[in-house]
Amino acid sequence: MPLSKKRVYLAGLALQLLLIITVSSRDTFWLLSKSKTIFPESCKKFWRRSEQIASTPLGQRLPPSNPVRQILTGYLHLSGIEIGYGFFAPNIPNSYKLVFELRFPDGRVEYKLPRVSNAASVLRVATLLDMIGRTRSEAFRQTMVKMLADSMWREHADATMIRAIFGSVVLPSAAEFEQGKRESYEFLYAYDFNVTEKSSQQSTP
Amino acid sequence: MKRLSAWRERLIDFCFPAESDTWLAVLRIGLGLDVVLYALSLRDDWNYFLAGTGHGLISRNLGEAILSLESHLVPTLGWLVNLGTHIGLHEETVLGVAWICLLVSSCGVLIGLASRFSAILAWFLHLCAAKSGGFVSYGVDNFMTIGLFYLMLSPLPDQYSLDWRLRKSESRDPQLVGFWRRVLQLHLCIIYFFSGLAKCLGSGWWDGSNIWRALIRPPFNIIDPETLVRWKYLFPVSGIFICLLEIGYPVFIWSSKTRKIWLISICAMHAGIGLAMGMYLFAFIIIILNVAAFGPGLIRTDLRTYQLGTVGKALIN
Repeated sequence: MPLSKKRVYLAGLALQLLLIITVSSRDTFWLLSKSKTIFPESCKKFWRRSEQIASTPLGQRLPPSNPVRQILTGYLHLSGIEIGYGFFAPNIPNSYKLVFELRFPDGRVEYKLPRVSNAASVLRVATLLDMIGRTRSEAFRQTMVKMLADSMWREHADATMIRAIFGSVVLPSAAEFEQGKRESYEFLYAYDFNVTEKSSQQSTP
Repeated sequence: MKRLSAWRERLIDFCFPAESDTWLAVLRIGLGLDVVLYALSLRDDWNYFLAGTGHGLISRNLGEAILSLESHLVPTLGWLVNLGTHIGLHEETVLGVAWICLLVSSCGVLIGLASRFSAILAWFLHLCAAKSGGFVSYGVDNFMTIGLFYLMLSPLPDQYSLDWRLRKSESRDPQLVGFWRRVLQLHLCIIYFFSGLAKCLGSGWWDGSNIWRALIRPPFNIIDPETLVRWKYLFPVSGIFICLLEIGYPVFIWSSKTRKIWLISICAMHAGIGLAMGMYLFAFIIIILNVAAFGPGLIRTDLRTYQLGTVGKALIN
């Protein structure tokens, strides 16, 4: 292979590795700024600033329509390197659960979970619930829960009201488990969807 | 100046080792099988996860709209649905055809038939599905995109593919084959370093509580907690072991003395996670990437297939 060709490949490799390291650093700083870690709380401001600095070479601070940002972000997605690798880190949060309470004209009440066909799909729905649980945007959360309630309604068209109850699954420690404590369900939000009014109401604890 | 020149030569030697394409065959077959399993696992929920507003679990359109704010260049199933609409095809039909094409292309990757085309098609369709279903995507989708991206750029076909047997293709430049292996190896080192670093920063990995939480957290709680709690004394050891294994990967995977033990340990860790937490596809893809990157060359018979690579040189000398 000619040297000139090798140089082109090397430049490509350098750029690829630089992007992977920058994205990974940015997401690690983000984790540090949001989570409880071995560092003191006072460091969080520093991590936030570091995350912003790491976002700059990725074009994340440019306007969304900027072509450089569009191309860079597009490439990150195409090569699968748009997110970092902080799996199950630094700590493992509680998981979330969504239960639908369906009320029927004859007075029946049924409780349902989002339907999927196999264990692989259950993992995907869990990812979705984590996203709904972690978002800070109430509008986004409500939109997502409404869509999930809609899908439930399509399967139970005769229901007159659906209440979507969103909660967090609180896990006991190993020591607590030995003392008899089991996982519990902590209520976070509830949304009522009425078939006649086609409206929703929210309640929180 | 001389030192700079020597350093440059060493860098080029490192990045372009002459290698056999055994690793590429491992990557191709492993990814092909992984995409087949991915497609089959989603067979019944494909339309349910990826349909537009008012037809599925959540709206594909919302995910695509959010993604388009980030970049218009990322392919989505919406592109294909729009294309299908122009020729009078319903959304459901287009999604069904996309699933069939993904399955067929992954079989093509698996057996090495039209290797390059199959790899590009599998990458494109998987990416469309992963991005359109961004709300229900997780780590496995990222690793599949990474693997398929490198596979389609690598010098296909490899000598174990059907293409090779049918067309008697010319041998690929061994240095180019070695270059793409290096890319994958370096990428994995970065992945493990940052994954290990992030774990080390949380106190729960040092006292083992994160192991316990990971194993009892729904939907990963496939082992009865009553059984798990009997092994609680092993959790801190396991937590520290995982942290050290991951953060030490970029160092110990390169040395011929520690490579085998590190590779076996990391694969065993992923197999354990896959079995204990039900993350079979995730475990499979990451094991394939590891074995493709660092596996070939570990056993002596395989070393003979190297010609001018670093390991081969050691044998010749």
